[in-house]
Order: sequence, then C-alpha cells, then structure tokens
Amino acid sequence: MPVKVQDLVNEDASLVSRRCWSDQYVYELEKKGIFGKAWLFLGHESQIRNPGDFVQAYMCETPIILARGSDGKVHANVNSCTHRGLPVCRADHGNAKRFVCPYHSWSYTVEGDLVTIPQESEVCNKPDKSQLGLKKVPRVESWRGLIFGSFDEEIIPLEDYLGDMRFYLDAFLDRFPGGIEFMGAPHRWVLNANWKLPVENQLGDVNHGAFLHAAIIPREAQALIEELGYSVVTAPGHGATFRLMPEDSPIDDVAWGMEGMGGMFGGDEVQNYLRDLQAGAAQRVGDIRSRMKGLTYGVYPNLSFLWSNTSFKVSHPRGPGKVEYWSWAVVPADAPDPIKKIMRTNYSSFFGPGGMLEQEDSEVWVQQFLGSNIDFADDHPYFYGLGLGEEKPHAQLPGLVSVTANEFYARHFFARWRDELQAVEGQL
Amino acid sequence: MTQQSIETSPEEQRALERFYFHEARLLDARQYQDWLALVSEDIQYLMPSRTNLMVDNRQRGSQDMISVERELEDADSMGCPIREETYIHLMVRVERAYKMNSWSENPPARTRRLVGNIELMAQDGETLNVLSNFHLYYARPGSEDCVYSGQRRDQLVPDGDESFSLHRREVIMDYADIVYPTLGLLF
Repeated sequence: MPVKVQDLVNEDASLVSRRCWSDQYVYELEKKGIFGKAWLFLGHESQIRNPGDFVQAYMCETPIILARGSDGKVHANVNSCTHRGLPVCRADHGNAKRFVCPYHSWSYTVEGDLVTIPQESEVCNKPDKSQLGLKKVPRVESWRGLIFGSFDEEIIPLEDYLGDMRFYLDAFLDRFPGGIEFMGAPHRWVLNANWKLPVENQLGDVNHGAFLHAAIIPREAQALIEELGYSVVTAPGHGATFRLMPEDSPIDDVAWGMEGMGGMFGGDEVQNYLRDLQAGAAQRVGDIRSRMKGLTYGVYPNLSFLWSNTSFKVSHPRGPGKVEYWSWAVVPADAPDPIKKIMRTNYSSFFGPGGMLEQEDSEVWVQQFLGSNIDFADDHPYFYGLGLGEEKPHAQLPGLVSVTANEFYARHFFARWRDELQAVEGQL
Repeated sequence: MTQQSIETSPEEQRALERFYFHEARLLDARQYQDWLALVSEDIQYLMPSRTNLMVDNRQRGSQDMISVERELEDADSMGCPIREETYIHLMVRVERAYKMNSWSENPPARTRRLVGNIELMAQDGETLNVLSNFHLYYARPGSEDCVYSGQRRDQLVPDGDESFSLHRREVIMDYADIVYPTLGLLF
C-alpha cells in the first residue's frame, strides 16, 4: 500500500512525516506533481553570452542543454538523442555548432533541430527530420538574467511565478549596474540526502548557524541575526531571510561582500569597490532595500541563493535518498577581474564541496536522511511548529514577515508541496 | 610536464621523503597543530575545480586536446577553484578540529594516506618545486568510506633545520563526480 499524501503533512504543516524524505512513491509523486510542472532554474545568461554557447543543466533527473542559438535566443532541450537516447552533449559547457550523438552520429543544431542522419542515404523512405529534433523544454523564460524552464506548457509566466520574490531578489541583483555573472562551471557533488533538506536549509533556516556551525560562527554573529533579522515568505515555497541594518550603520557594516573572507582580507582595492557599490545602492534599489543585508533565499522548488556568501545553488534530486547539489560563485559582471577572483572566495572559503561551513551542512543532510529512513517511528513525525501563526504582513516588506526562528517558511513550503502531490496522487 | 625530474642525490631525495612521510603521519594521527607548524604563513593552498570540456577542434590530434591542465579551473582562471586558501583558512580549519562541535569531524575520520612518486621538478633559488601523489583512505562513522586520490604540486623552502616549510600547495583531485563527504580535508 503506497502512503497517502494527506497522512504525510498535517493541515497547518506543523507535522511532517519521515516518509516525505525517504519514500520512493512519494518521490515519484514529486516528479509528476512538482518537477513536471514548476519553473525550474536552468542557468544564467552570463553563462551563454554568444551564439553557440551552452551549459548543462538538469530538470530533476532529466539532463538539459541550455544554449544560445544562432538566432540569439535561449534554447533548452533534453540532452537525449531521438534515435537511441544517448546524451548528445558530454561537456559541462562550451561553444558548439552541432551536437553529435556518439552512437550513429545523428547531429543536432544548438537549437535542438536534427540536421543529419548519416544512414539516411542508404534507405528509400527518408525520415522526416523536422519531427525528430531533441525534445524541447516547452517553456523557457528569463528574468534579470536568471533562466528557468518548465515542462508545463500552461504554466503562468515566470514573472508572476516569482511574484513578490522579485522585490527581494532585486535587492541584490539590481544593485549592480552591469548585472551579475556566474563564475565557471558549477561545483557539483553527490550526497546521500534528500533534495528538500538543502532547499529548506537555504529557504529560511538561518537558526542552525550558531549551533551546527558553532565551531566557526561565533554566538555574537547569531545574536545580531536575531536582533536585525527578518524572515519573509512571499508565496508558499519562496522565502528570504536578511538583516535590515539601522539607518545610521557604518557603510562597512551594511555593504554587500564585506563579511566574507575575500571582503575581509582582500585589501583596499576590494573594500573600496564594495563601499562604492554600497554608496550607489540606495539610488538603485531604494532606501529600505539598500539597508538589506541578505542571508539566504529560496525559490520554489529547488533554487537557493546564499546572499551572504554570494552563491546560487540548485538541489537536483537523484532519488529519495540522493541529491546532486550544484553551486556557483556569483560576482558583479562589471567588476575588474582581480576583484572577481577575490570575491569568489567569499563563496568557496565557507561553501561548496571544500567549504568550511558546508562540510557541516552536508554532514547533517546525510544524517537526516538516515533518520528519515528508519522503521517503527512513523508515529513521531518531525515537528515544524516553531512560531506557528506568528507571521504577519508588514508595512514596507511584501509577504508574510516574522522573526528568523519562526519555521513558517518550511510550513508554507510543505503545505504547497502536499497540495501539489495530492493533485497528482491518483495519476501515477 | 614532459620533462624528467631533476636528478637528486640519495640524501636529497631522502630529505624530501622524510618531510612528506612525517607530514602524512601527522595528518593521519590528527596532530594538526604540529602539521600547521610545517606551513609558511604566506602559504597559498589551492584546489582547482575539474571540469569536462568539449574537444577543441583546433587541438584535434594534439597533446593539448587531452591535457589535464585544460580541465582545471585554477587560481589564474576566471572560473571557480574549489579552494583558494591562505594561512588564516588553514588555521581556522586546524582550530576547528579541536572543537567538540565540529560535527563533520565528530567522531573524527580514520584516515591513512600513502604519499609517493615524489619528484623534484625545479629549483628556483631556495624554492623547490616538488610533485607527489597520494591515496587517502577515509572512514568515518555514519558516513560511507571513500578513497581520495590526487596529485600535489608543492613549493618547499628549506627551513634550516633539516626539514622544509610548505609555501604553496596545489592539490589536483582525481574526481569525475564529487562523491566525497567533503573536499575540505588537509591533503
């Protein structure tokens, strides 16, 4: 008997079953109800500036080629040959005119159209190549350079999907006159964990910081988060946490980038660059957002943005108990190269597969899966009730707002998750 | 890197081995403070990221097409190395290991590393450019065992005490997908 979705998450989502994290049937429902329908992050326009540029991406477990076509437009196709299913692209990124399948050399344009079937000349009935291109991701849209794709042709426009999350994303993205740039290929690593825990960790869970990471993060830093911190849910599954710095804060306390290893030890050139950016921030994003010093963001279902260490991350499921986690260092696109090189260490010192904080996070994500996969404890679902009902609207900040210890970000995520699984429950 | 290593006398080669075996033993015995004493305060500790690139048509048939170097996003690149660290980073990592709330080290991993293929590749004044390979077995309660494999490209300077101090280390990890619990160890 498969589990029933209504038994997994209770009405107010304050109780979440262990099976949400470990059950194969639940995972199949997630594929159908969430990953088959939502807007999923594919990449950033800075990665594919020129015609023929491409990067790899994933939509759940489905490999995607994200490319800039010769028409200058962004194309997303499933990386699987129409003939026998092999990936037609094996490189992480590059520039190509054609993707060629290794098996029989069927070749495709970067837009995904089938160009040649070498064996065709030997048969009488020629296949209709116009019908045999790579499977296109039916909807591809981008906002502020962030490219998303969806397998649901009927999905609402990306801007509506992001909704008020744009207000918070822009507090960062719109600070930089030249926009942002993703540096290099993503760091990608495989963990025996469920994909939702990295998501939850970045969606609003800043309160593990001083505890899990106590060996690195001093208690005083957490006290400041508790004093100045806000947690916001703009729509179920989208969330932002940040500190709203007082108006009279010294510029070095407010400026983006100062609190990372690169900012702290990068020298005058880097610090003056960051001060200049901050000095122009109010004009670009307004007073209140110029005082926002972000912590973590989440965009439903599996995109995260770690503002404080300036990294975009995607949690790609590989089954209920396995995740391929991707992350990129992000820098202002028009920063001088030496500054970009220093600023990327704001990310890599603490995060990514070699990061000092991430090693603790990876550890607990793996351990949480072990706890979620045990028997005889289903009458003890996980408690998600901290701060239940305490979130409220705010005069200046869109969405529901509360203290960072309130777990409403996760309750909203799981309420949406439950409803989306329930909607497809009879269809597997 | 097609050139042969510099010819060393048995004593010179033995001095390098002695340093590396000592270093390996300190790390496997978790004597991290003692290890840090081998490290120069101006150290650069680097780990390039490793990527899968397309064959460049212009390089077809040439050695460059399959070179290791082209796969590396290193400190000079505009990509993103996995680690670009200073003495401060290493100091924090070492101090971390002695704290009971360093949960990814608690309980600590049992490691055993073999260091070999030690080659002196160049000498620039006092600075020795030395290559070595390592295999590191890693077992930790609650985690899957794994083997790390890689090459270290070091710059050593004699410390006047029959040993060396480490001024630069670039760790080239051999991975396709990163399936390790962390690449944050002291390699």
